Amino acid sequence: MSYKKVCLMYRHKDYAVDGIRSALGLAVENMYAYGVVLDTELETFDENTQESIEMLRDMEGDIFSTIPANVEKNGLTAITLEELGEKLREMTHIVPYGIK
Amino acid sequence: MKILNIYRSEPDSTTKTLVEIVTRDRDSDSFFLNTDTTPNYDKLVDMIFEADQTICWW
Amino acid sequence: MAKSLGIFVTTQESLPHVLGITKAAKAKGSNVKIFFTWIATHSTKDPLFPLICEIADDVSICVDSYKKQGYDINDIPPGLTAKKMATQAQHGIIIEDFDCYLSL
Repeated sequence: MSYKKVCLMYRHKDYAVDGIRSALGLAVENMYAYGVVLDTELETFDENTQESIEMLRDMEGDIFSTIPANVEKNGLTAITLEELGEKLREMTHIVPYGIK
Repeated sequence: MKILNIYRSEPDSTTKTLVEIVTRDRDSDSFFLNTDTTPNYDKLVDMIFEADQTICWW
Repeated sequence: MAKSLGIFVTTQESLPHVLGITKAAKAKGSNVKIFFTWIATHSTKDPLFPLICEIADDVSICVDSYKKQGYDINDIPPGLTAKKMATQAQHGIIIEDFDCYLSL
């Protein structure tokens, strides 16, 4: 059986935190799930969101960001737009989440 | 591998860069939802059924 | 036989497209499942929503999102039943079990 690989991408701050929860929901269903925050600098995450990211990482998923402030403030994994593009090529499902 | 790119709004440089990398050396098609007239949903569904992967960009 | 289609809805603005695509896919004999999450759960208050529920084979929403968007979980939107006030597992079903995937 081949596992699905899903990448959700968030460009608007109102959608990012829930989108992260959505990625976790897929990891729980035995998929490789990734999230990427683009364009927007997010507030410091609350404990629940931090825990969601830790759980996701325990299940071989991750949350990335192209924005350095999100890497510094919230410990997201740094990624460039070009690296993201290459990563998307490996995905079975690509989800531009919410609005931009 | 055939990819269908659907656009909900006018693609900006971020979307264009990602589309360019994802579709490199692959067959691809596009469909715009952000039109003044009602999109041809019948044609769109055919295109979705024909594609191996559909990406609906912001 | 027509392919099956799963639609994951994350935006309110896409509702007319959800209806248009669902109608077109059903006319081709497709099995259509739709799941609404987060801000898109506001769509349950749109007059188009019950229409979509009628046409599609299966419509569900994320109940946790619905609550976080300020609605009472006992206020079940027209077109849905209590069982369709569901979890993110519905998104997983769309990805795993449907031939074609669309996010809107």
